[in-house]
Order: sequence, then C-alpha cells, then structure tokens
Amino acid sequence: MGIIDLQGLEVRLANRTVLNGLTGELRGQAIGLLGPNGAGKSTLINTLLGFHLPSKGTARVFGMDTHKDRARIRGGIGYMPENDSFIGNMSGVRFVRYMAELAGLSSEAALERAHEALFYVGLGEVRYRKVSTYSLGMKQLVKLAQALAHGPKLLILDEPTNGLDPVARLRMIQLIKDIRKEGSIRLLISSHLLRDIDETCDEVLILKGGRIASLCNIEEERRSNRSFMELETVGATERFTVSIRGLGCECATFPGGRIKLVIPDNIEARDLYVIASEQGVQIRRMNQRRDSLEDIFLRAMDNDPGRTANGSL
Amino acid sequence: MAVYKRNYTAYTGAVTPVWTRVLVLARYAFEEAWASKVTVGLFIFCMLPCLVSLLGIYLANNPLARTLIGDHSGRTIAIDARFFLKVLQVQSWLALVVASWIAPRLITFDLADNALPILLSHPISRFGYVFGKFIALFGSLSFVTWIPCLLLFLYQGYSSPVPWTASNVRIAAGMFAGSIIWIAFLSILGLALSSWVKWRVVATGVIFASVFVPAGVGAIVSAVLRTRWGLLLNVPVMMSNLWQRLLGAPSPINENLSMPTGAIAIMLALACCVCLGMLNKRIRAREVVRG
Repeated sequence: MGIIDLQGLEVRLANRTVLNGLTGELRGQAIGLLGPNGAGKSTLINTLLGFHLPSKGTARVFGMDTHKDRARIRGGIGYMPENDSFIGNMSGVRFVRYMAELAGLSSEAALERAHEALFYVGLGEVRYRKVSTYSLGMKQLVKLAQALAHGPKLLILDEPTNGLDPVARLRMIQLIKDIRKEGSIRLLISSHLLRDIDETCDEVLILKGGRIASLCNIEEERRSNRSFMELETVGATERFTVSIRGLGCECATFPGGRIKLVIPDNIEARDLYVIASEQGVQIRRMNQRRDSLEDIFLRAMDNDPGRTANGSL
Repeated sequence: MAVYKRNYTAYTGAVTPVWTRVLVLARYAFEEAWASKVTVGLFIFCMLPCLVSLLGIYLANNPLARTLIGDHSGRTIAIDARFFLKVLQVQSWLALVVASWIAPRLITFDLADNALPILLSHPISRFGYVFGKFIALFGSLSFVTWIPCLLLFLYQGYSSPVPWTASNVRIAAGMFAGSIIWIAFLSILGLALSSWVKWRVVATGVIFASVFVPAGVGAIVSAVLRTRWGLLLNVPVMMSNLWQRLLGAPSPINENLSMPTGAIAIMLALACCVCLGMLNKRIRAREVVRG
C-alpha cells in the first residue's frame, strides 16, 4: 500500500476545478511535488490535510480517507506551511510545545520533545525568544520543529526553502536529508525549485493545470534513462561507427564527423577511446549527459496533461 | 547552537484522547488571557463592587457592627432579589469590560500571524478551536459574574439569622442562569468580532460598540416608527428585563421598556447565530479566493 493513494480526485474551489481527476499511488520515502504556479500543489496538500472536501474521487493517506478520517490522519502528519504561520507572542519552545500537545502528546512529553526538536533544527539557543523576533530562516526552522516534535509518520513540507539565503537553504536541505535517512518519517515536499526536489526526493509527482503530468521514481527514471553522448571526430568515421555499433551503441552520423550516441550502461568513454585509437580516429570533443530532473520536468510540461511516466491513470 | 550534532528520534510514547485537545486549546487560551497584568488589574477592579456588597450583607445581618459604625437609625439594607439584581447587573457590565479585553487576545494573535493553518493541521476541528477559546473566555468571565454572585448569596444564607436560603433559592438560580446566558452571549460575540478585526485595540472598541450602538439605532427606530420593538436592539434593556424576571425582582424599569421574554430569547438566539456564522466564515485553515 502506498503512503498516498489518489483515485480520480477532483477538487473544486469557488466554482473552479483546481484538481482534475488525479489518480496515482505515491510510495516513495521522500516524494517531491512539482509544478508551475497554479498547478494545484498547495490544493493537493490541503486536501490531504482534510481542509478541502473532494468533489469527486478519493484521496487516502496511509489507507485512511482524507475527509472521513481527517482527525486520525492529522495526528500522524507534521505540516510545515509555505507562508508565515506561527504565534508571534509565544516563545519558540512554548509554541512548539503547544503544537505537540495539540498533536496528542502529554504536557511533560511535549515540553521534552519541544526542546529536542528545537535543538535538532538548530534553534536551541534561541528557544526562549519570542517567535516574532526570529529571522525568516529561524521562522522556517521553528515551523519545521513544530512539524517534527510529535514524531509524525508523514512530514508535509510546503516550499521549505522559501525565502532562505544560500546557507540557510543548505542547512534546511541537509536537515531534510537527515530526516529521510533516519527512516521513520515519509516526506512530501512541495517546491518549485527542481534542485531542492532533486537533492532530497526519490519520487516525484508533477502537476500541470490540476492534472498529473508525470509521476515517477526519480532514481529508476535516471537508471532507465540512457546516457547520451555527442562526439566530434576526425578520420575514418564510417569504420569507427560500425565498430562502436558492435559494442551495442545506437549511433547517428552527421556531416563534419559529428556522431550522436546512445550508450548502454556497461560501456564507458574509455572503450570509445580505445576503438578510436585502434582505428586512428581522433576524438576532438566529447559531451556526455544523463537525464536530469529538469529533463523529466520539461518533458512532463511538454506532454499532454494526464500522461504519467510510471503511474496509472 | 548546540556543540554536538543531535539526531532525530521518533516519538514512541502514549497519545492523549482526541477530545482532550479542546482542553489544551482552552488551557493555553486561559494562560494567554491571564498572562496580562491588565487582566489581573481588571479582575481586582471587578471584585470591588463585590466587596462593597459583602460589607452591605455583613452590616445588614449584624446590628452590633451597625452600632459600632454609628448607625443608630435602625434602618437596614434589605437583602432581597432587588439587592442581588443590582449586584448581578453591576458584575455583568463589568464582565463586558473584561470580555472586550480578553476576547481579542484569544483570537487576534492567531489571526495576525496566520497561525490557523498550523493549528488546524493538528487533530482539532474548527468547532473544537472555537469551543476551546469559548471555554477559556467563559471560564474567565465566570470569575467576575456568577461565582462572586453565588458566593455573596451563600454568605447571606450563612449570615442570616432566619432560614433565608431555602426561601430565596430562586434568587441563586436566577443569578446563575442570568449570568450563564449573559457570559455565553458575550463570549460568542467577543470571539466573533475579534475574528474579524486583527488589531486588538480596535477589536475591544468594536465589542463595546456592538452592545451600545444598536441600542441607539433601536431608540431611533422606536422614535420614528412609534413602536417599542426597537428595544429589541437595546441589549442593556433586554438583559435587565431578563435578569429581573429570572430573579423574580420587582421591575426597576419603566413598564414601557418591558419586552416579552420570548422576543428577548429569540433576539439573543439570532445574535448568536449571526456570530456563529461570522466565526464559520473566518475560522478557516485556508481562504478560497473567488474569481
């Protein structure tokens, strides 16, 4: 069973269809939620939290219906919203303790966990300061601390690096990686920054216009995507091409000694150099690259909405 | 910054029942309300009329004390429904002052910093959120209304040489019911208005205005249309009518200002419904932008 299971999910807000027939199962340890502005990322998160009632279809988190079982689901979720969301006149530790108690911890356990969570995110020294006096980066971290304090099974992070300077961003990314590595928490991270998702997630759900544009396992996608190579050669190009085809490469030749290759995983650049040397061919330039998340995203944006790479519709 | 790296550990302890989360909200709201020195000052101020009433009851039941303070007239203060009606009225209007100070503190801090998405992402419903705040406000107002009123009643029963309590139970029941109705109404009104005004000072003013401005409008309506139904917008008159009937006290106000109890009940219920509608509109984790 997946962590999040969507079956024809449709959400209408103010007579507008924001999510349109989403179907798919998210299983990853860390799931990235990507899409341009207005794609429905935040609406999907709000629906998973039970803030919006689906007009059609269902959404399930850990097998529980997001509307009927919202109290139970929320008990197991830690949520870090995108915008400022805190109680400014409370100290950091009191705010995190309050949230932990609301999540179901006893008063004593909540206080203990609040201290631990604040130290964990790096706010230990400022935990008695009022949240309203925190910098933007600290406010992001205190939101993360309150989401973690009660030990959720699913952590939903909505634009966690929003407004952070490069150092604070790196720290946030490292924290997310650590949480993922610890293994007891599944993550759902919404971001418009491909790099953040690329660094932290193993599965990605790309939304476009309220529909699923792509749902794929990033690691598998990278593994299955073949390496591309472009060569500029001088010499007996025809013979060279025949030889490298013999290695299992797919080739296309172009005027001026240019060759484009798709090479299997077991072939390395060194093998090409060896053949070139044997046949007296000079390799003047070599470009090699694999599909990045950016390629996956751009391909998803070009595709018609409704197609998935590895999900069902 | 910690000098050594800390690792995240999952929580494996017990979890409290879901219904107790409302009490968590109420407890934090109560602490928030009473953390202010102004609240404590207001509470002390609200106890002054009770102390005066206590002294009155003491003197009424103690001829020797009256003699000692030089009162040889033989006249005593009548400790009856009229006396307790006055006590209730004074305490109830002081409760309005307390409510207009506390209610904005309970809601506006959450709204000003947009805390509702985080608060409501926990296992607590919108109703639970409002109910938790309501409990805190209702409890705070209880300290200045029915609790001191009933304590004064008990003291009168204790001090009175005749079996006074048994024959005047209606006064106690009336004070209790009248206070409960008033502070429940004040709590809902205070929370609803506070949820629509982000600035605390303005919210305090709006709560006062919501009680007294309609009274002026009602007076204009009554004068223009030559009817007494405009009084249904006059909360002070409506509540005085209600308290007087609940305590069984003789009417202290002009008969022209008398309103049917049913009409008063309907008006209060309508006002509460409007307030609940306002809360329902405002207390949301997310606002849906139309268009």
